[in-house]
Amino acid sequence: MTTTNDRPLAPPAPAGSRIVFAPKVSLADRYRRNARGRRIDNALRFGVPIGLLVIWQLAAMLDLFDRRFFPSPGDVVESLGTAIGTGVLQEAALVSTYRLVVGFVVGALVGLLMGFVLGRVRRLNVALDPIISALYTVPKLAMLPILLLIFGLSDLPILILIAASVFFIVVISTTAAVTAVQKNYLEPAQCFGATGLQTLRHVVLPASLPSVFVSLRLAAGNAVLVLIGIEFVQGGAGMGYLIWNSWQLFDVGRMYVGVVLVAVFGVLFQTLITGLGRLATPWTRRGGSASSH
Amino acid sequence: MAALDELDEIDPGTTARTDPKITVKGLERHFETPDGLLQALGPMDLEVRDGEFLCIVGPSGCGKSTFLRIAAGLLDPTGGEMAVNRQGTGPLSAMVFQDYSIFPWKTVEQNVRFGLEVGAGAPADAEERVGYWLDRLGLAAFRRSYPSELSGGMRQRVSIARALVVEPEILLMDEPFAALDAQLRMLMQDELLALWQEHRRTVVFITHNLDEAVLLGDRVIVMSKRPGHIVGEFEVPFTRPRTADLRGSGEFAALEQEIWANLRSEAYGAADAVTPAAPTVPTRRGLFRRAR
Ligand SMILES: Nc1ncnc2c1ncn2[C@@H]1O[C@H](COP(=O)(O)OP(=O)(O)O)[C@@H](O)[C@H]1O
Ligand SMILES: [Mg+2]
Repeated sequence: MTTTNDRPLAPPAPAGSRIVFAPKVSLADRYRRNARGRRIDNALRFGVPIGLLVIWQLAAMLDLFDRRFFPSPGDVVESLGTAIGTGVLQEAALVSTYRLVVGFVVGALVGLLMGFVLGRVRRLNVALDPIISALYTVPKLAMLPILLLIFGLSDLPILILIAASVFFIVVISTTAAVTAVQKNYLEPAQCFGATGLQTLRHVVLPASLPSVFVSLRLAAGNAVLVLIGIEFVQGGAGMGYLIWNSWQLFDVGRMYVGVVLVAVFGVLFQTLITGLGRLATPWTRRGGSASSH
Repeated sequence: MAALDELDEIDPGTTARTDPKITVKGLERHFETPDGLLQALGPMDLEVRDGEFLCIVGPSGCGKSTFLRIAAGLLDPTGGEMAVNRQGTGPLSAMVFQDYSIFPWKTVEQNVRFGLEVGAGAPADAEERVGYWLDRLGLAAFRRSYPSELSGGMRQRVSIARALVVEPEILLMDEPFAALDAQLRMLMQDELLALWQEHRRTVVFITHNLDEAVLLGDRVIVMSKRPGHIVGEFEVPFTRPRTADLRGSGEFAALEQEIWANLRSEAYGAADAVTPAAPTVPTRRGLFRRAR
């Protein structure tokens, strides 16, 4: 199926008739139609979430749901005000952000470094790949008790687990991206006598950057999941703790505040990384599709 | 015949030096494939003179790229040897690849500078050289463009500039104009002709196009079908500097015809039927290989 603005072809004309292909709409109309199409897209993009919120608010006001379990958007905003007023929200957000950023940066750096080494040194990859696969599949939360045992009740076990969750995603994708760098980019480097490090800098790194940034984005989203999970069971601080604690206090509004803010934070974090990725790979932005002649 | 007579008087400057630049003796290359050991090249014997523009023609898959890769040091031979007579201290060879292989993540200027940044390190006049070759190949206006913003012809120029900027002793070109349309191809041939006559160096140039081979080459070598070895050799008698007008002359057409006759009978076989060489000694059985 093709999606065009034009009407489908007319049924086959009888033999001997003259078939004319000519514009069906004027250029100005075509342009207007496309502009309208973009406006509709934007209306959908923002209108649907807003519409859903409005419906939710109306439903709550009409008492269609039990407001103890499903507070209205208005109630949530009110709880947000209270949580900010008492300062619990800022504190929780600060703690979680700190854990996330430190864990993410450490995990990503180690993952990138190791991914590039494994991607370039085939034998090392052969040796370590089974171990990495095995450790990757271990649920990170399951390691928490062991780490708590070793490191005690500090932030360290949390940071280690966040870093680990990021590390595995990044190392696996980076290794794959590096080994997938095409021969026709490596051969010129070899031909011009590039050293291993020069090949890495001029060829392997830029060639794998686009997929590396996709993996960083996935790892960022996943790190948020892991962090909230950890803070549910341990920590005594952070957004996960805030949500769990609200449940125990039956402060439903604050519970929703926590969930919504975590979601917003996850989106912002991923957007930041996608943005960094676009900055780091300018050649994928301009031009785009390559014309051959 | 006029051209041949002139040859005696005006030495083209390529045949005088006796020491060959490249000496190839019994060169072979095999590849391990799922169907067994495949001989892709050879045994091949060849001498390339210093400063010579040598063109190689031959059927697809006969081992031309393999030969060039060996010359570039990208591939080891599995038999025989290739000896290169090194004179300078700069880069020995540079290659213009069949698919250009310029880097999409580098701008035109960065692509051209690449060969100077890696290896021995940038020479003092690096910027000048990059500027010169960007100008010389009409790329100056595009220096900050990415390859994805360029036409096929422009990308090919980037690839040529990237190779020439390092001033290699040997320039290796693998069907550089194959992907260009017929008109652009002629323009690029004319440009390369002028360029080479200005900056002479040893060139090994692979092409499918006999016209191109005769216009550019001092000598045209014809290779057999796989495993490729040399089945014909033609000196191109036209004096330098040549111009594109040569294409219209009778001698040009005659030589082209002569090479084609040789290529057709020796390389493609008189009966036109190309039977692929049967692979020998199966090395292993593929798990999912279909029975034939
Ligand atoms: N890396 C490789 N592995 C297996 N077979 C190869 C490899 N490279 C080339 N060949 C085979 O060697 C033969 C010659 O290839 P090539 O030199 O590229 O031919 P040409 O450039 O003359 O078209 C072909 O049959 C090709 O399939
Ligand atoms: Mg080839």
